[in-house]
Amino acid sequence: MNFTHTWLPFLYLYGLGGILFVAGIIITIKAGSFDLNRKDHKKWMWILLFGIIWYLTMHALMIWAALDIISVYTMPIVLLGMVVFFVVVTLMLRKTRRA
Amino acid sequence: MQTFHSIGTTTDWVVMVVYFIVIMLFGSYFGRYTKNTSDFFFGGRRFSWWLITMSIVATGVGSHSFVKYSAKGFEHGISSTMTYLNDWFFIPFFMFGWLPIIVYSKIRSIPEYFEKRFSPSARFLATILLLLYMIGYIGIGFLTLGKAVIPMLPEAFIIFGMTLPITLMGAIIVIAIITGIYITFGGQTAVIFTDLLQGFILLFAGLLLFFFGITYLGGFDIFWNLLPPEWKLPLADFNQPANFNFVGIFWQDAIAGSIGFLFMNQGLIMRFMACKNVNEGRKAAAINILFVLPISAIVVGNAGWIGKAISVVSPDIVSPSVSPDQIFVVVANIITSPGMFGFIMAALTAALMSTVDTLINATAAIYINDVYRPVRKFLKKKAFSNFENDRRELIVARYASVGVTTLGVLAVLAFKNFPTVYEAHGYFHSTLTPPLVVGIFLGVFWKRFTPSAVITTFVGGVALMILGARYPGIFIAPFDHGIEMNPDHPYSYIRALYNTLVCSGAAILVTITTQWQKQIISTIRNKRSEKTIINGIVIVTIGVFSIVLVNISGMFIQLLSAITVIILVPLLVTYFVPYDEKVNTNGLTAGSINIARKLFKGGEPNDQEGEKVLVHLEVVSGDENVVRFSNKDMAAMKAVPGDLVYISDNRKWMGGLKSIHAVFGHPHDEIGKVYISADQIKHGLFVQGKILEAEKEM
Repeated sequence: MNFTHTWLPFLYLYGLGGILFVAGIIITIKAGSFDLNRKDHKKWMWILLFGIIWYLTMHALMIWAALDIISVYTMPIVLLGMVVFFVVVTLMLRKTRRA
Repeated sequence: MQTFHSIGTTTDWVVMVVYFIVIMLFGSYFGRYTKNTSDFFFGGRRFSWWLITMSIVATGVGSHSFVKYSAKGFEHGISSTMTYLNDWFFIPFFMFGWLPIIVYSKIRSIPEYFEKRFSPSARFLATILLLLYMIGYIGIGFLTLGKAVIPMLPEAFIIFGMTLPITLMGAIIVIAIITGIYITFGGQTAVIFTDLLQGFILLFAGLLLFFFGITYLGGFDIFWNLLPPEWKLPLADFNQPANFNFVGIFWQDAIAGSIGFLFMNQGLIMRFMACKNVNEGRKAAAINILFVLPISAIVVGNAGWIGKAISVVSPDIVSPSVSPDQIFVVVANIITSPGMFGFIMAALTAALMSTVDTLINATAAIYINDVYRPVRKFLKKKAFSNFENDRRELIVARYASVGVTTLGVLAVLAFKNFPTVYEAHGYFHSTLTPPLVVGIFLGVFWKRFTPSAVITTFVGGVALMILGARYPGIFIAPFDHGIEMNPDHPYSYIRALYNTLVCSGAAILVTITTQWQKQIISTIRNKRSEKTIINGIVIVTIGVFSIVLVNISGMFIQLLSAITVIILVPLLVTYFVPYDEKVNTNGLTAGSINIARKLFKGGEPNDQEGEKVLVHLEVVSGDENVVRFSNKDMAAMKAVPGDLVYISDNRKWMGGLKSIHAVFGHPHDEIGKVYISADQIKHGLFVQGKILEAEKEM
């Protein structure tokens, strides 16, 4: 299949989108509204970073599955693993915050 | 193109009617909690994140509907999901920029933000643009509803021997009447709770449809292998075809659409304002975008994918030439049994009604806040008591809902000639969102952004956008990324890039030349012919803007006119609009959120993290907003007198429906008790004997 239909949109999406995402984090940190000295904001940083990796992984897996590089069933297994990881880490951060 | 009528059975219609009655009764039950305009529009700022998350599902899924994504799923495959999976990029800006500002600054509408941040004239222009946006959005909602219902209706009704043909507009008018009646008597609390129920039902119905489809085809492997390879890809081809390409949709949806949805969709913003605090709003946004949207993408698009797979294996059952906007109804009818089809159609139409309800409610809020109140103030009308004022505004809000519904129906005329709802929505987003998106975004994140710049964005930016729409082959083509121009609907999506660039360009140019504008105006002020010069500039500005607006003369003259508008408007704004950067940005930009928190609380925020405590209520006389806890409970919450407190019924499933915000008073010694006034009990809908949960805010 053509590169313009497989990886070019992916690169454009996460290249330009990634720049905007990082810019958002930097701008809000510089503005002081996103304060990494606060524990609850540290938790939000983890969620933000997880979110971008979550979507990037999801799209990459979908492209690989469409190209028959991986089985289509690999995708839900990996994504479910990521959800479990996300829940565990978020709960751990919550406990740390309370402690 | 093959179109359908009279799909479904009597059983399906009975199921649909019963479903609607149940939903309306459910909404009406919660409508009784609407006591004033705050409840009518904002639900009283009290709900938990999970309730708002599910409530957003019905709004989001309804607006990005089953009809349009099934259509694109049928035409192009799994890439129909891409618009649901590109909203995360702007989330840092939203969570730590816009969301705290709208909550802490206590603004009730987006135009109100423009007045506080810039000037009343900026608010006036923002109101016009926002009302156009909201009414257009309602029109798209009605169009989708009409297209969803038409396949189920016969081609004509025969009444007393007269044949009455069923038209799209006829169906839409009937739907609008039902929608208008519901929202007029419900309000935001009713909408939130109706959407909560429908959010669950929608996800269930969509996934059920996918399950039935896969079963119908004989299993997931068969379904997957039937799809052509291009149909399996999650993103569309980079720049073709003209009606569905990645790069155009990236700019239209991931950029203009995402910012538009998160930053200027008054319906969504009101949902976040209904959250009990900023953190709950962040949670609602995060869970919705991370986990609910991917599920929603499957829910809304799968009928198209199933339809494509059936059309490959049995083109006699689903013809490849089926009208894409009807594929959802056609597939649902084929793969489900009578009754179940009625349930799925009821869920779909009810979801769309939810979206339209939310938008009508939001537009009525804008009308009250940004037209009715300022006009009353301007006309210096007699002031009423708070109670009487609220009663009157509630009546006006209900009339406004009816008016907005009517305008929404008329707006359908502007979109009904697009081949699919998807393209109509894409064109609409690309055209109407950029000026407001640029205005809000730079207003929040750039302290130097001035009233001159925002008004020039709204006027000069729009002038350049009009030129782009009129001469797309000249103005938009340089940004088209190789997309072929369709002469009937030129650059439906990628025009968002051009529109965003010209609006941002005008905004940035005017902001960085602020000092020059001040110098020029200062020079003019020192001239004896000051008034004559300013009047001259006003006349020239109106003249050149009219040249662009009414298409007088050729392209070159119009371009020069647009540039002249961008030069002259900032001078006029600098002359007429008083602006103090320090005052106007205080608590209204991302850089001053701590000030906004301080203003919200009315004192220094107390960021010490305390625990939640459980208490019983004790009634005391008085009507103050102060509640009193024991020393020990306050110590557990790390609270001091003057801090803010949120008290809710301890039953989590109520999601904050029974709750209040108050201020900590001086403590007492009775552990586990809160002294609270009868008014607060009434407002919080608290019940004597039930345990309450209290937590310090901020």
